[in-house]
Amino acid sequence: MKKNNRYTRLLALLVTLVSILSFAVPVLAQDDGARAYWNTRSGTQMFSFQYLSMNIGASGSVAFAPDKYIYPNSYIDANVFFGTWARHMTLFRRPSVLAVNVIGGSVNASVDASVPSEFLPPGMDPDLAFSQSSSGFADPSVQFVTNLFGTPRLISNVDMLNYEPTVSLDAAVMVAFPVGQYDNDKLINLGLNRWYGRVALPFKWHFGVFSPGYMSSFELTPSVWLFADNCDFMGKTLKNDPLFSLEAHLTHDFAPGLFGSLDMLYQQGFQSKMDTLEVGDKLDIGILGFTLNYSVTHNVMIRTEFTSNVFGDENLETSVGRLQFVYLWNKDNINAEKLMQGH
Amino acid sequence: MKNNPLTISFTALLLVGFAIGFTAADVAAQEGKRPNILLIVADDMGYSDMGCYGGEINTPVLDNLANSGVRYTNFYVSPTCSVTRSMLLSGTDNHVAGLGNMGELAAPNQVGQPGYEGALNERVASVAEILSDNGYHTYMAGKWHLGMKPNQIPHARGFERDFSTLVGGGSHFNNGWNIEWQIPKMPYTEDGRPVKKLPKNFYSSRTYTDKTLQFIEEGRADGKPFFAYMAYTAPHGPLQVPDEWLRRYKNRYDEGWDGIRHQRLARMQELGIVDKGANTADRAFFLPRSTGLAPAVRVASGRKMEIYAAMVEYMDDQIGRVFDYLKEIGEYDNTIVIFISDNGAEGNDLRGMMAGQPGTFGFLHAMNNFAENGHNSIGRKGTYAEYGPAWAQVSMTPFRLWKGQLAEGGTRSPLIVSGPGVKGAGGWNKEAVLHVMDIAPTVLELAGIQHPSTYKGREIAPVQGKSWVGMLEGKTQSPRTSADWLGWELFGNRAIRQGDWKISWLYEPFGSEDWQLFNLAEDLGEQYDLSDKFPEKRAELIALWDEYVKTNGVIIGARSPFEQASKALPNRVPEFDNYPPVRGMEAIPYQKLLEAMNK
Repeated sequence: MKKNNRYTRLLALLVTLVSILSFAVPVLAQDDGARAYWNTRSGTQMFSFQYLSMNIGASGSVAFAPDKYIYPNSYIDANVFFGTWARHMTLFRRPSVLAVNVIGGSVNASVDASVPSEFLPPGMDPDLAFSQSSSGFADPSVQFVTNLFGTPRLISNVDMLNYEPTVSLDAAVMVAFPVGQYDNDKLINLGLNRWYGRVALPFKWHFGVFSPGYMSSFELTPSVWLFADNCDFMGKTLKNDPLFSLEAHLTHDFAPGLFGSLDMLYQQGFQSKMDTLEVGDKLDIGILGFTLNYSVTHNVMIRTEFTSNVFGDENLETSVGRLQFVYLWNKDNINAEKLMQGH
Repeated sequence: MKNNPLTISFTALLLVGFAIGFTAADVAAQEGKRPNILLIVADDMGYSDMGCYGGEINTPVLDNLANSGVRYTNFYVSPTCSVTRSMLLSGTDNHVAGLGNMGELAAPNQVGQPGYEGALNERVASVAEILSDNGYHTYMAGKWHLGMKPNQIPHARGFERDFSTLVGGGSHFNNGWNIEWQIPKMPYTEDGRPVKKLPKNFYSSRTYTDKTLQFIEEGRADGKPFFAYMAYTAPHGPLQVPDEWLRRYKNRYDEGWDGIRHQRLARMQELGIVDKGANTADRAFFLPRSTGLAPAVRVASGRKMEIYAAMVEYMDDQIGRVFDYLKEIGEYDNTIVIFISDNGAEGNDLRGMMAGQPGTFGFLHAMNNFAENGHNSIGRKGTYAEYGPAWAQVSMTPFRLWKGQLAEGGTRSPLIVSGPGVKGAGGWNKEAVLHVMDIAPTVLELAGIQHPSTYKGREIAPVQGKSWVGMLEGKTQSPRTSADWLGWELFGNRAIRQGDWKISWLYEPFGSEDWQLFNLAEDLGEQYDLSDKFPEKRAELIALWDEYVKTNGVIIGARSPFEQASKALPNRVPEFDNYPPVRGMEAIPYQKLLEAMNK
């Protein structure tokens, strides 16, 4: 890393912090969840409300000179909600899903770093420590998923009865709109102040019996996040490399209406550049967790998930707890239940 | 058939034999080698399920067997399995042999009475006992259901080798759940000893076949002929089949029972099993027409029939293994094969009957072990599905009702006989009225053995069945004359058949709880009671019934599983000509039937 002057060095430090803090932006930090890409009947609508409690402890390393490093530390505490509406549909004879996410909440971050005075601009306190908090809405996003192969159209009751998936592959595209809370004089914000999005290829392998109480699946979702530039970062332009992500779930029904999942999320990339200056380290984090999902009724589910990073960057510690309520409805399913009463 | 004492050379004998029409059994006997007997019994399989009987189920092995043997259209069994098996192995009436009623369902006034032991009793000798004492190896694999006490199990009743389940039904896999809560796990015996643990890859039809092949292989060194009783438990409920066979008939039955039944009937007419003008049974009065069902309901219902069909085909495939093996060791051409089903297809809610009311042990047992019935899970280990009366009636096309009932749908079975000396390969015999009691005397005659009057120092009942050997050899069309008659009684329902005439007494709402008279030559479906038209014939047959009761010691049960049927089912509506109309299954108008019979 080149360091042109002391001011630039300070900015580099801040960018490193921002890189770390950006991980606290919920839409990046969480996985899609187990069975998120399972197909269901066309016309089914879903409303989901999630509450996430995130705790992230991070330490960075910034080389200010040969053998001269500083180690900024940060601690982030976020309380975030996700509201999601999704509709399953058939598009070009393929099962597809359109989903809209609205995200909000609050994030509190405390940062400290001791920087040798010779590296600081004149007048700066060498003991850099501050706390910031933000609240409001993050960047909303829209996601479209369509099946590439492995899943037939699911329109009628007959389609649903005949549905016994084995392997299937979807394509998903998500776009986030930069309208979330952003304050250009804060290091921590809920919005990223730039367009970004993701392309994913969710793969599912259903094994065992595709029947309530017996279902099992292995799910693998490779994806890449792409970020436009943030042109309003302390007078500079902040750029980030793509973030590569690999999400995996091994799910199994313990009983009808109760499934569990072992979850894994690995993310790498997101190298930051300030103007043309590469700063900080790229993200390299591996998260493991587990999920329990209970169907209270045929269309109401409660889900909990806990994750923590266990491999990758040793300077990062995360723990995320999630509580989710899901409500599904489909008028044709209601009719199907009436039809099958007594059978 | 007795051994021929001729001692001329085999070549010369063959030439002479061909010239004068010796049967192959004769030839084998003259070689000093009597024929092997392979008796194959399906469990609850319907009359028209096999391809060679008009069914759409793929049964290439049995179809080939039919092409090399003879199919019979008037073969009778009892309405339930243990009752049939008692007659099959004893050659006499079930009320004599100890199964006057199924042991599980004996009425209070029947318990402890002679002929109602609920097991093959000591008044009879099993065909295996007699064959075993006369130089045959005797093997059994599959369902026994003729007693569980040490002196009642297959090994004690003449089978030198066996791998048997002693009870009536349960899981087809190695979890072994019995449908009866009193004995939660199905008891199995192997060579007379309890089986402690079923093989890991146990599946009924496969394992019974494996064991049969093992027994034959291990016993063939001494050159003695064998009698192998393969009592498959397929396709008895719970409908289960190995996973790789589950979707073999996927969506084959989505169109519903009426359409499939119509197609079967058309094929049966093409095959000549059913005359084109014959009156066939209407769909049972309480069943909806399948065309009126929502598509999803038809698919859900059809899934059960898919599994049933897969079970039948799987069994057919396993029978093929036996035939292949016999050909490999050079015994197939010296083996008489008899294939039957033990009763009509299962249209009752057996699981419901066994589970009983909530709060009982039976209900708890069913909920714990047989509750899973999901659309995609049924047919697998740990599930319980039955296909119900509508599909049972398809399996019993063109007859009325199903297992348990003394209608033709409960008592007609397919019958194929093939092997050395069986004349008329590939043909049909539609004249002979045959009964499962006939098989024991037939087997004994094929083996050249007289049925004894005593066995191990005790007098035993004579056989009531009639040997088919003359018929098989083409010397007669039937072992019975038009004066011979057959009788049945089970659960209080009763029937007599003499020639084309039949009377039956069935509990309401399936019958009138009075004698009804049918002419089966015109009315295969037993749709029109001719009692008023032919009162003398009815009286004649009732007199035969009285004789049947006296001869066999029949005790009408004080209780019956059908005694509440009229309350459980909707009222039977009066039948009108062609109403309700059913696609392809229109009844012959009553007036036309009477006109035809008066001609």
